[in-house]
Order: sequence, then C-alpha cells, then structure tokens
Amino acid sequence: MTLEEKKAEVIDDFSMYEEWLDKYEYLIELGKNLEAYPESEKTDDKLIKGCQSRVWLDYKVEDGKLFFRADSDAIITKGIISLLISVYSGRTADEIASDDFGFIENIGLKENLSPTRANGLVSMINTIKAAAEANRKSAAKEDDEVLSADDVKALAPMYENVVLALKQVYDPEIPVNIYDLGLIYELNINKAREVYIKMTFTAPNCPMADEVLNDVKVSVEDVPGVTGVKIDLVFEPVWDRSMLSEEARLELGIDLDDENSEPSEPTEYDGYGLH
Amino acid sequence: MKVEDIRKMFPALDASVYGKPLVYFDNAATAQRMDKVLSLMGDLSAYHNANIHRAVHKLAGDATDAYEKTRDLVKEFLNASSREEIVFTSGTTASINLVAFCFGEAFIREGDEILVSEAEHHSNIVPWQLMCQRKKAVLKPVPVDDDGYLRLDVLENMISSRTKLVAITQISNVLGIINPVKEIVNICHSKGCKVLIDGAQGVVHSGIDVQDVDCDFYAFSGHKLYAATGTGVLYGKKELLEEMPPYMGGGEMIGTVSFKETTFAPLPEKFEAGTQNFNAVPTLGPAMEFARSVASDSEIVSYNEKVRDYLLEALLSDDRIRLFGVPHRTIDKAPVFSFAMKGVHHEDLALILDKMGIAVRSGQMCAEPVMDRFGVTGMLRASIAPYNTLEEAEYFIKSLEKAAAMLA
Repeated sequence: MTLEEKKAEVIDDFSMYEEWLDKYEYLIELGKNLEAYPESEKTDDKLIKGCQSRVWLDYKVEDGKLFFRADSDAIITKGIISLLISVYSGRTADEIASDDFGFIENIGLKENLSPTRANGLVSMINTIKAAAEANRKSAAKEDDEVLSADDVKALAPMYENVVLALKQVYDPEIPVNIYDLGLIYELNINKAREVYIKMTFTAPNCPMADEVLNDVKVSVEDVPGVTGVKIDLVFEPVWDRSMLSEEARLELGIDLDDENSEPSEPTEYDGYGLH
Repeated sequence: MKVEDIRKMFPALDASVYGKPLVYFDNAATAQRMDKVLSLMGDLSAYHNANIHRAVHKLAGDATDAYEKTRDLVKEFLNASSREEIVFTSGTTASINLVAFCFGEAFIREGDEILVSEAEHHSNIVPWQLMCQRKKAVLKPVPVDDDGYLRLDVLENMISSRTKLVAITQISNVLGIINPVKEIVNICHSKGCKVLIDGAQGVVHSGIDVQDVDCDFYAFSGHKLYAATGTGVLYGKKELLEEMPPYMGGGEMIGTVSFKETTFAPLPEKFEAGTQNFNAVPTLGPAMEFARSVASDSEIVSYNEKVRDYLLEALLSDDRIRLFGVPHRTIDKAPVFSFAMKGVHHEDLALILDKMGIAVRSGQMCAEPVMDRFGVTGMLRASIAPYNTLEEAEYFIKSLEKAAAMLA
C-alpha cells in the first residue's frame, strides 16, 4: 500500500466513529495491539520530550526503509503513536521527509487534544521527521569533491565569516548564540561556495523553529562570497548541555558536572501557571 | 441557600462540552466567575476606566475609590489590623515572590535557613530557592507522613536559631489536608521565626483570621476565589512590611524622585509599583462576599460536606484507587481529591473524562516534589466548589468507572 493509500485508509477508519469516545476506543485498541517494546530499551535517549505521558520511539533502517517502534505509559498516547507508525513505518526516508503529515488534521486528532497533548503529538511527528531527515541523502554533502590546497586556503576565511554569521543568531530561549550552544553539527563549503549546515535545536518541538532556520539562512547568505545555503535539521544525536562551548558555559554559569548529576525526569510544561 | 441558587450565579456552569453538560471539577486550578464579578469587571472597564491614584478627574476618582474600598474589604475579610497591611498583587505567586525578595533583602544572611513543607506547589518552593541562591541561605523541606499530614514534630525539631522563616501551605493543592496553621505559627513563633501561610487553596475552603492565627504573611489569589484573574493579595504584618525594601520601582510607589535620591511611598503603595489591575481588583469585593455567605450558611455548608463525604467514601472504598491525602477525620480534608488508579494512566483517564464533559486535572499539579514524595509520575485530581452537586459527583464516579473499563 502506498503512503497515500494508507493515509486514506486511516482517515476512512477514523471517520467510521462519530463520537469521540468511540474514536478513543479505537485508539485504545491500537495502543493495546502495538508490538511490544523491550523494557530494557526504554532509555532516556529514546524518550520524546514534550508529552505529558512518557513516549519512547526508536527505529532501524533496512533496505533504505525506516522501521519504527514505540511505546508509551499512557494507552491513548500509545494508540496515537501506533497510528503514526502504521502509516510511516516501512517507508523510505525521502517519502517520510517530503510528507506534510496533513492527514493528522484530516482525522481531527490534533484539535481534539488539549494543548499539552497536541504538543506531544507534534513532538512525535517531529521525531519521525527528524529520523527521516537524518537518513536522507543530502546533495551538498554527497559531493565527493576533492579540495586542492589552494581551494582550502581560499575557503578558510569564508569558514570564519560563516561562523561569525552563525554567532549572530540566538536561541529564542537561551541567551547564547546557536554556534556556542553547539547546535551546529556540521559545516561544509564546497568549491562552488555553497554552504552546507547540519544543525539541531535544543528541543524537537521548538515553536520558533522556522524563524531560527530563516535567521540562519539570511545571516549566512549575507557573508560575502557565499553563493547558496542548504540547511539540514536533524535531531540525532539529541542535543544536550555537554555540547555547549566553554564560552557558553561561562556565560550561563553552568557547571557541567553539576548538571550531569541532576535527574533528567521530564517536567510537565505549565508555563501558564495552571496550578 | 440551595446549591441551585448558587449555580444560577455562575454562567459557565450552564455550558455543555461535546454535547454533554459541563461538570467542572478543576476548581483548585481556578474557580468559575460569578455573574456579579463579570458584570463588575465589564462595568469598571466600560464606564469607570481611569488610572488610579493620579488624576483629579471624576473617572480617576471613581476608579481609585473602587480600588481602595476593596482594600478595606480585604482587611475585614482577613481580619487584618490595618489597611496598610494589605498589598494587592497579581496572585499568590507574586505575593510569595514579593516576600521572598524583600524579606530576603531585609532579614536573610548567609547560612540562614528557610523551611517549606514537602507538600508545597512550585510557587511556594521556587521563590525561596531563588532567594537562597541570592543570599547564600539554605532551603529545607519539612516532611509529610504517608497520609499527607505535615510532621509537626519534625518541624519543631528542624527549627534552629538559623531558621528565619517557615513558609507553609494552609491546604496543599494536591493533598487537600487542612494544616493546623495556628498551631504551626505557635511553634514557629515560640522558636523565634516568622511564618508565611500560602492561602491559595486555604482562603477558599477555610478562610483565615490573620490576627487570631497570628501569621506574619498570608498570600492568596483572587481567581481561585471566584474573582477576576490577575488579582491577588499579600497580607503582611505592618512592622515587617515597614522594614522591607520595595520590590519593584516605578509608578506611584514613590515619595519624591530625583536623580540624587528617591524616597518611597508609605505602605501599602510602597509595594504597588506601576499601573495596578484596577478594573479587576474590585471584583474581590463580591467574590469575598460570596465566599463569606457560603461559609456562614449552614444549609449549603452541610450540602457541600455531603458531596465531599460521598466522593471521599467512593474513592476510599475502591481498592484500585490510591488516594493521596487520606484524612484521619473528614473535617481535616478540603474537597481536593488527588488519586492514582491501578494500571491506568492519569492522562488517559483525564482524556476520556473530558469527552464525558468532566473537567479534571491530570499530571503533576505544579508540585513535582509531592509526586516524588509519593513515588508517582502524576495523579488525577478532582477539586470541588460550593456550586458542585451530588449528582455531578455521582456522575463523576460512574464515568470514572466507565473510563477505567475502557482502559482495562
């Protein structure tokens, strides 16, 4: 079944239930029937941030296709992730990465979840997207071009200027620039003076993501000599505080040893003071 | 007074959600607003809107009168000894932060200790942590027992000569156990330390007489007491407030301002910097009046107790349910019921109950340390107001049963 056929099937299945309670029954069934996820592999790096309940998501790549598996301690959430897996598991990275995930809106799932749960759903989708992006072939990166010593010499100042440009972009939440935060995983410039950047965010469901990406693009494009910018957003490896530069650590007054000893339990988002 | 009469005062209670009548059981998060509160707020915004304490014109005079009259009403409501002891804030959190900052600046030295209970919400923990960081002081939690009662014996032993302040909730927003605040204040004062009572839940269910209890500070929010959001009160003993420096600068909190020197306004304006929430503060008037009339009406009081006792009994008699905050005597329990159900996730229950028209809270209730204390990742909480009926309580228990069956 193609991705489009599968999506149509899910929309069809969902539309059979008029009452939301029946839709929940359906999701609960899906949750119960989800393939078991080994307890020993429920590690923190597989945990999706931004959900009220805990959700673990993992995948493997076989024959160029991504196969997902997941679990949650809440059964309706498990049903939702099961639904996503049934649609996206066994697809190629390109197929998933170029999908708009719009069918979620067609089944009315998102607006029928409370904001915190809708956030969780967005986090799940972003994690699936990020997995696909990470396995996608990127054009600029794939160019196995050999740079001559002269090329390197000519490109070196450009690297410095691009880094300076990246340092002009700030994280919307932490008062440190994205470069010192360690959000830039890879930076390449090819002979054609095209810049390739592989970067991440501190959290997968960053609401400012588009703005930040645009800032990066505009800032790097402004560097003299740059002919193009390609940015790949990835969430693997997951960013953590150990990636902060020395300067950033000093600026934030973070002692890394202290930070590491803190428990990494997920905290409930309650920015509106809903006690 | 009958519950039906009360329900007529709250327009939101007529609502239906997903085609089912709304059962609002999330009152500990925020209560619904009375029609009198809503109309007063609309009226003040529409016809008496002017900044207070400044201009000489008529509208400004009306607005100032409405605001300052409310201060007198709050003074009476809390039985404070003077109106200067009543500071308007944006809510409990703002009140506690004010004390944490200003009391900290005035009285806290390196190595001093602050005590809070294990059952506090974050608003009565984090401000003290910030203060302790600033002043190199130490924050210590006083334990609660397995039933959710504060360990008064431990509290007594924990207070040392270094302890400068004890900040305790009157009623925990999770456990619902009513703390013996008068006794707590007695213990603390006998050892020479000051006491702040967090009345966010307590003001709703128990009320307070600050002179009788003799607490040094009392904080509460308007929105949990049927008034407009963004209103709140800090009560502080005059001699303490006098010695504390201002919190924020600007607006009418000044005496005279020059670039050489600025003097501050007397109490309470010293702590009310910037434009105040003058369209909303006066709604505390009808809200407090309502709270008082409910508390003094034996018919509605006994009806509310019936609802509470029914829920308590129903939750305690179900062996799949673990209730947090188990009262030794029913009068120790405010109608705030947090619980976990065996094998069922609190989020799933809340999600299904929502679709049945029931609004409850699930998660950590802004009180992660309480979750840790009882070893859970979250709870489900049903919190009841005087306008909730026995029929709603029965529907809730039935729906809970149904939801549990769906999830089993």
